[in-house]
Amino acid sequence: MTANLVNILMGGVFHAAILFLVAAGLQVVFGVQKIFNLACGSFYALGAYTGVSAVGYFTAHGGPPALFIIPLALGGLAVGLVGVVVERGLLRFVYDRDETFQLLLTFALVLMLEDLIRMTWGTAPVSTGGLYLNYGQARILGATVPVYNLIVIAASLAIALGIGWLLSRTVFGRIIRAAADNREMAEALGVDMRWVYVRVFTLGTMLGTLGGALVIPATAAMSEMGIELIVEAFAVVVIGGLGSMRGAFVGALVVGVLRSVAISVYPELEMLLIYLIVIAVLIWRPRGLFGTAAA
Amino acid sequence: MATTRREFLKVAGGAAAAGAVGFPAVARGQARPGVPSDPVKIGIIAIRAGIAAPVGTAGLRGTEWWAERVNKSGGILGRQVQLIVEEESNPKDTVERYRKLILQDKVEVVIGGISTGVTLALGPVAEEMDTPWLSWDGTTQKGVEETMPNPKWAFKSVDNEVEAIVAGTLTPKYFKGVQTIAGINNDYSYGHDCWETYQAVLKKMGMNVKPVLELFPKLGVTDFTSHIAAIQQAKPDLLMTSFWSGDATILMKQAAAVGLFKNMKGVFTTAGGVHDSLKKEFTPEGLLLGYNTMYFDDPKGSPLLKQFVREYKAKYNEYPAYESDHAYFNIESYKVAVEKAYAQTKQWPTKAQVVKALEGVEAESLSGTRSWRPDHIQMCNFYQGLTTHKNNYDFVTINPIEVVSTKTAMKPAGSKLLDWINGWKV
Repeated sequence: MTANLVNILMGGVFHAAILFLVAAGLQVVFGVQKIFNLACGSFYALGAYTGVSAVGYFTAHGGPPALFIIPLALGGLAVGLVGVVVERGLLRFVYDRDETFQLLLTFALVLMLEDLIRMTWGTAPVSTGGLYLNYGQARILGATVPVYNLIVIAASLAIALGIGWLLSRTVFGRIIRAAADNREMAEALGVDMRWVYVRVFTLGTMLGTLGGALVIPATAAMSEMGIELIVEAFAVVVIGGLGSMRGAFVGALVVGVLRSVAISVYPELEMLLIYLIVIAVLIWRPRGLFGTAAA
Repeated sequence: MATTRREFLKVAGGAAAAGAVGFPAVARGQARPGVPSDPVKIGIIAIRAGIAAPVGTAGLRGTEWWAERVNKSGGILGRQVQLIVEEESNPKDTVERYRKLILQDKVEVVIGGISTGVTLALGPVAEEMDTPWLSWDGTTQKGVEETMPNPKWAFKSVDNEVEAIVAGTLTPKYFKGVQTIAGINNDYSYGHDCWETYQAVLKKMGMNVKPVLELFPKLGVTDFTSHIAAIQQAKPDLLMTSFWSGDATILMKQAAAVGLFKNMKGVFTTAGGVHDSLKKEFTPEGLLLGYNTMYFDDPKGSPLLKQFVREYKAKYNEYPAYESDHAYFNIESYKVAVEKAYAQTKQWPTKAQVVKALEGVEAESLSGTRSWRPDHIQMCNFYQGLTTHKNNYDFVTINPIEVVSTKTAMKPAGSKLLDWINGWKV
């Protein structure tokens, strides 16, 4: 019984860990730039594919398989720099346009990135083979849990704490918060918003690409993999509150664990349960659990 | 974006035709009397995006391989072959492209279609357009029974549920003591039908099994950790799945990470789309695995199959999926039918004459001879067996290879699937 409970919880928390990274990327971009980035799921897919390539290159060149997580994370982070290109090359032209244009542009990005992925990696699913099993299994209260899953959960938690520290303790964090609260005032005080936007968007992209890279050893990369996650990320955002990092954290946990419990107890309810929570939150707290009026 | 892709394909098709003109005269063959000299246009509907992209691509590559060989050896009755490829996407758009192939490109036949939703939409259109259509795949029973009962122009793939039927008949042989089963199948008609059929066959085979869990994740899910936790909780003796794309690999990998198959039998009815991604590291021995139609490592495989696999691997650095085989047979059977009709009339046959010639025709596929049943259903062999690590690859193969013909594993024309199974005398 305890083992089953642990299995269900660990399944949910693992899912939540990945979901958090994508949702956090979505949140940071919305919080500061007020852009609802539909392409964050595509960045996740891009990170996954890059992760596979980085690990493949590493092992093909004699890298010890036990250290595969290093090229994996570096590959995921490096491809996050595509955020600079997207922000400078595309997004900056629509900041002053109607929100519809921003949505259209980020949706166009979804389609473009999907084609780009197919052109680069082909149509067949790609994976890192059996490296996932390299770190073995841990026994937790009678349940068998892949150690890699624990590493991902720990990494996601560390990133959450890191973002918390960045936002609350650093100069950059103060600027971000100021820009999120009142862009005009921040600009009047001499903050170069171009500088802020390019960094914020790249940070958001990197969170997504790193999420994709970290998940990939446990799964296989498919060009449409982002679509699956983006729908859940939206649920996270609504539950947690638009623009709130704490909301992304709690929302991801709620969605991940509820999904896992639903699959074990009454599988037909998997998505329905999540949306019931979304509806309940919308009725009870329209701004989400941690949303603010400004966001 | 779709338009751009179509435009690109148009140019690519034109380039291919121009290339064909450049073939040495000896290789191009001489057109027979009564046969036009211009290339014969063949429309191809291929899915290259989304979850079915790997099999769609495999089907297209099998077709292109065929076209290259046929053109080098003189074409069909001396006519060079020109493929005009259109994208398979949603039913509405695909139907439009299908009409365009016939009305604008003036193709003589349309071949392809994988997704059940798309092929069900194409069926009635094929009947309207008076042009033969040979489907690669996408023919789950319920849909076919409802929308294409007596096709005149449409030629349909083998019943998809055959894989589950074959697995059901082999389960008592390999996994005798099983008492409880669980199923994880995709949440669409194929997944539901396979699970239902598999259980019906087990019952008919005298296995008194109790289903303890059924999961139907959406297509495209990449994290089955929670599903596996649910399976662990249900503790079935056997897990059955009809996953056939990347999800089969993911399930196998995530199951291995928690040692799911240490105390559980496994039945994977079809791995034909991703067989080479089922690495030994995470795919245990002793699972019942289906290869759908073509088994590339079959020591008894034909020289044609061996050549195809060799050249495919060399060109694309991967192994072909089962859809190459369906696609190869479809287009080869068209050639055979045209030649058969010509032998009678000494004229390039009309579309209606081709359809008549296709009925009951036999032609070579990559995995041996196949045929079209008079009711326009493809007849072929299925390959299933227990996974083994004893081979030269880094992925599992099956041994022994059980070869089951659709002549025995597919319901006869006109009957209902479950009625037919329930009527078996075992």
